[in-house]
Amino acid sequence: MGQSMSASFAPECTPLKKTYDSCFNEWYSEKFLKGKSVDNECAKEWYAYIECVNAHLKEKGIQPALDDARKEAPFESGGALSDK
Amino acid sequence: MKLFSNNYDFDYPWERVTAANWQKYPNAVSTHVVAVDVLRRELQDGGNVLVSERLLTVQQKVPRWILLVLGGSNVSYVREVSTVNLRDRTLVLRSCNLNYVNLLRVYETVEYTPHPADPRNKTLFAQQAQITAGGKFGRLVNRLEDWSVQRFGDNAQKGKDGFDSVLRLLSAQWDEGVARVTETVDDLDLDNLGAQMAQRVGDINAAAEQAVRESLRKFTILSDYQDLFSDTFDETRRRH
Repeated sequence: MGQSMSASFAPECTPLKKTYDSCFNEWYSEKFLKGKSVDNECAKEWYAYIECVNAHLKEKGIQPALDDARKEAPFESGGALSDK
Repeated sequence: MKLFSNNYDFDYPWERVTAANWQKYPNAVSTHVVAVDVLRRELQDGGNVLVSERLLTVQQKVPRWILLVLGGSNVSYVREVSTVNLRDRTLVLRSCNLNYVNLLRVYETVEYTPHPADPRNKTLFAQQAQITAGGKFGRLVNRLEDWSVQRFGDNAQKGKDGFDSVLRLLSAQWDEGVARVTETVDDLDLDNLGAQMAQRVGDINAAAEQAVRESLRKFTILSDYQDLFSDTFDETRRRH
């Protein structure tokens, strides 16, 4: 039995996620870590996947909590807590 | 607020540890993490910095009848922002629970850096968690925070051992020249490895949430939380 890649929180997005992850993991080891990359590749796989994710974040009601967390610990500061 | 901190060495080069970090789940031990999604990812600084925002979906092992009685869901979420920096060779992961933040908030920072004593072959793991229980608990705040810190510590070694075993296998494969990481992982029987990283924010959060919900509803179901429950009952009696 082989190891499968992790699923998406939305089952509908899992196939798109696995396609993206395959591309990303190869890019990460073969290009990024070797300093050979100026672009985040896998764009086609990414957009297909993230479109699905964004739709389901709203549908499952995760979006409001996520918005709060983003305000508190912005992506732009690497997830560090912002001073209140 | 209480702090928990912890350090470990991994006997693998930093680059490998960071590559394995993306492939932690699913695995046999941390079955509570049922899904991992990437929400946002940016390559910065001329290709030297990779920032990723992820959503971890955590499913608690709660007997079905409890869910039926209490209602609600046994699924909770953790948001993580990670930064890989090739210039200073750091991987920093910052995570926080998205559910019940007003009751208990666990904000965790994990940093992987090349080991000062052997930067080519070893990696240093440094973990810190800030645990804050909400005001609703009154005098129980301290106790809940202490309990959470204790639980966080109990799980730390297990998580370390698990990640080690995955690194060992991934490394063997990489040494054989199998560069394609995705294929490598597909070839591994991780179910039998009995482990992986894990037991991080998701675990403490899931356990704490459960304790919180059930203590609020005056249940004494799980022996793990006996102390917390008895305190809660005493407190409740005193107030009524």
